Amino acid sequence: MSVRDAVVVLRDAGVVAGLSLVAAVAANAMRGEPFPWVAKEAYELFVPCPEPLGEAVPLVPDDPLVSAERTLRVDAREAAAFDAWHLRGAWSIPFDWIEAVPEASVRKVAGSGASAVVVYGDGGDPDCGRELARELSGRGVRNVHYVQGGAPALRGQPRDAGEVSP
Amino acid sequence: MSALTRFAGFKGHAWLALAARLYLAWVFLEACVHKIADPTAFAVDVATYGILPLWSVNAMAHVLPWIELLAAAMLILGFRVRAAALLVGGMMVMFLAALSIALAKGLDMSCGCFASTGAAEDPISAMTLLRDAAWLALALYVMFLDRRPLGLDRLLEHGRSR
Repeated sequence: MSVRDAVVVLRDAGVVAGLSLVAAVAANAMRGEPFPWVAKEAYELFVPCPEPLGEAVPLVPDDPLVSAERTLRVDAREAAAFDAWHLRGAWSIPFDWIEAVPEASVRKVAGSGASAVVVYGDGGDPDCGRELARELSGRGVRNVHYVQGGAPALRGQPRDAGEVSP
Repeated sequence: MSALTRFAGFKGHAWLALAARLYLAWVFLEACVHKIADPTAFAVDVATYGILPLWSVNAMAHVLPWIELLAAAMLILGFRVRAAALLVGGMMVMFLAALSIALAKGLDMSCGCFASTGAAEDPISAMTLLRDAAWLALALYVMFLDRRPLGLDRLLEHGRSR
């Protein structure tokens, strides 16, 4: 490619960029609600921080491990849902989709002396219970499981007396 | 005759570059449609990279898809093919740089190259980099080895030579 050819190519590319600008202005003017050319406020972005994720074993709701005496049960749902219903003896560690699980909570679970940790969430897709279990596992807690289907699938399991099931 | 000269002289380049041209055009047409239809979503994708200053995010979301569309149209029509390939190559270099920065930051996000699917379905990865590098290679191939077997450039050349 000669220098002259290169100049022509660059010129043509510049013309296309200019035409693109004109087309963008025209298209935006034709929108019912034009999209501003300069954002007035910063975008609220949902980019989860890369937490270390480990392996968590799925369990069916009636797996004996769920109700075993030496199992630590962890409720990953929000506090209000936990207050309304939870498995007997369960700890509440609400899973936050943006923030990492507090280090104190991870240490508490790791130092609980339980032989297994069973996490249950809201049973959604994605399930906060599965996500919390994977995060706990990734941060060094051993023998972590999660209940497939979460709290809704656990209906009929023993729960704290006097509280309302979901 | 050097290997490079022999390679450049290969007659099959005309048709291989035509195939590359049409493939790149299809990729960029596919990529620009959702961005033109929904600049807001694309602006969020651009902002997610966290590279551009806020004042330039929306302008980028407005103009870039139209450059993709015009470049794709030029590749299909065979009009000013080298300029179109230069634009495609330039965009690929820009995307590769943005992706590399996002991967280095450990961002868990979608590349925003095609219809926004979210990080869960289409996360950026080394494979995304490889894919974009392959498209950059194709753009360079078209730029330097396209022989214009079909298209407006060829017709215009014939017109001038008469």
